[in-house]
Amino acid sequence: MSKSQHDRTHHAKKATGKGDPQCFKGEAGPAKFKVGDRVRIRDLPDIFYTRCQVYTRGALGTVAAVVYESPAAEDEAWDNTDKPEWFYSVKFQQKDLWPDYPDLYANDTVETEFSERWLEKA
Amino acid sequence: MSTRSEVLKHLNLVGLLQPALHVPQHAPYPDAIDHSLYRAYLRSSHDVGGEPDVPIAWEEKQEEQWELNTFATCECLGWRGVWNAEERRRRQNVDLGQTQYLGLPYYGRWLLTAARILVDKQYVTLTELVNKIEEVKKRHEQKSAR
Repeated sequence: MSKSQHDRTHHAKKATGKGDPQCFKGEAGPAKFKVGDRVRIRDLPDIFYTRCQVYTRGALGTVAAVVYESPAAEDEAWDNTDKPEWFYSVKFQQKDLWPDYPDLYANDTVETEFSERWLEKA
Repeated sequence: MSTRSEVLKHLNLVGLLQPALHVPQHAPYPDAIDHSLYRAYLRSSHDVGGEPDVPIAWEEKQEEQWELNTFATCECLGWRGVWNAEERRRRQNVDLGQTQYLGLPYYGRWLLTAARILVDKQYVTLTELVNKIEEVKKRHEQKSAR
């Protein structure tokens, strides 16, 4: 987008004195998932940009925290901040992610964040 | 080194840069690209989690002055609204393409990306940037000749 079409101060105006992602609070509507929900990571097309790691696609996890509201990385990467989403921290058993993970460490977990679009009810 | 010998050396070097999946024919016919290959080519180059690779040694490296300057420059671009952090990450981790993502030093990618966004968003023209680089290069050569 060329500078003539784009207000480059829009984010500063919104975030000054509040911080980011705090400045998006209250803009994502009701959260679709709650702590403890079992979710599956969707395998959406990921052309051009994403922060949703491929190694989690299709895996089952548990919502560990509902963390904040923010534009999804896929939108924010082009400075589109009009549609914030809820973000969730999801916990996976390592064994569910890696087929060869040793049984000796069966209790190991990994936790990572997703915007709401990447989750579906399991 | 003369310009010609530098150019010929450059041509030899870029001949060694290859996409990870090396096939003898570049720009293949569409029916040679199935869904798996298409997905592999379009992957975001920064999403390396779970890829098989060999172990590398951990090294604690202190930042160099130009790296700190680069970081500060990129933060200023953020404060002035030229980009946000996610746009910066997209440009320096994905838009560069896999070869540059894996081949350039970390802050080299930051610096290249800072120059790129100023051109893309029309704060400077590529002509101005090229002339400036040439001017600084000449000045540097004169300095080091002394």
